[in-house]
Amino acid sequence: MFIAVLILALLLYAAVRRVNVFEAFREGAARAIPLLKTILPTLAVFSAAMALFRESGASELLASVLSPVFRFLGVDPALVPLILVRPFSGSGALAALTDVFAQYGPDSRIGLTASVLLGSSETIFYTLALYFGSVGVKRTRFAVPAALLALFTSIVTGLLFSTLFFGAR
Amino acid sequence: MNIVILLLLIAGIAVSLVFGKADGVLSALQSGAASAVENILRLSGAYLLWMGLLNIAEKAGLIGALSHLLSPVLNLLFPNAKEAREAISMNLAANMLGMGNAATPYGLEAMRLMEQSNPRGGVATNEMCVLLVVNASCLELFPATLVGIRSGFGSAAPSAVVLPTLLSSLCSTVVAVVLCLLFTRPCSSRS
Repeated sequence: MFIAVLILALLLYAAVRRVNVFEAFREGAARAIPLLKTILPTLAVFSAAMALFRESGASELLASVLSPVFRFLGVDPALVPLILVRPFSGSGALAALTDVFAQYGPDSRIGLTASVLLGSSETIFYTLALYFGSVGVKRTRFAVPAALLALFTSIVTGLLFSTLFFGAR
Repeated sequence: MNIVILLLLIAGIAVSLVFGKADGVLSALQSGAASAVENILRLSGAYLLWMGLLNIAEKAGLIGALSHLLSPVLNLLFPNAKEAREAISMNLAANMLGMGNAATPYGLEAMRLMEQSNPRGGVATNEMCVLLVVNASCLELFPATLVGIRSGFGSAAPSAVVLPTLLSSLCSTVVAVVLCLLFTRPCSSRS
């Protein structure tokens, strides 16, 4: 309902503003193709490594060792790869998300939480390196600690709002 | 990323050897890689659709309108970056609509303009740091591709995550803005 109304409103607004909807859609969708091309290899590496890690029993082993820690923090062990990869690689985080969706489903408690975590955080180390690197800035002052604090906040609030909206585990 | 993948692979193979499941290593790796193709098909629907729709939104001037709404906030956060103001507002507006890929060129343009007027080249200005921190917290009004991906994986309620995502990113953005003001205000009042 929400999405349908949103898309309808967008199309009507675009029509009023005399946008060539067909051409604009084509142009935008064309930009998705190189993106998908770069995502597929990342997805392949990550999915292969995750599948091996799971099926070897290493994942269960790690979970049983770490579960007291994660239970204390209120984090499901299945979300740990996503949280660890998120600051470094956007397509890696996407791969972790699809892994969670394929294992548990997008509407499971874990799938919902993974969605909120991905949506409300950013690939900060990549962005920092790209933006500062592009202009040759070496001394980044407070950018890194403040960005890390923002990321940490988004993970904590992401877990918090997931519990609030989707119930406790 | 390299270390994460390396650890996963080495641990996976080592544990397989210990548990006597070495024969399963190849099939696990291969079925994993094959599932990447399945998943890219689910992702491609979301990316093709939403990047198309968001380009319509951009062409219709919606991002420009949003960046106009942002200008009072930008005056507060970027007092000394007049020349980069437009690029900054486009960068933030695109980020808020979940268009990270459209946001990057504007962000890089803003950095270039700010470095041009930087008296201490190579040292980040307040405005540069603030841009990065606000990018890191990324207020998300509507996470378009995320909703699309959820739908691609057969979600019955793909947009159920929109409100918690908005609230969570709002909290981290408030933290980011407060941190930026704390870091930048003492310096700018002294100079």
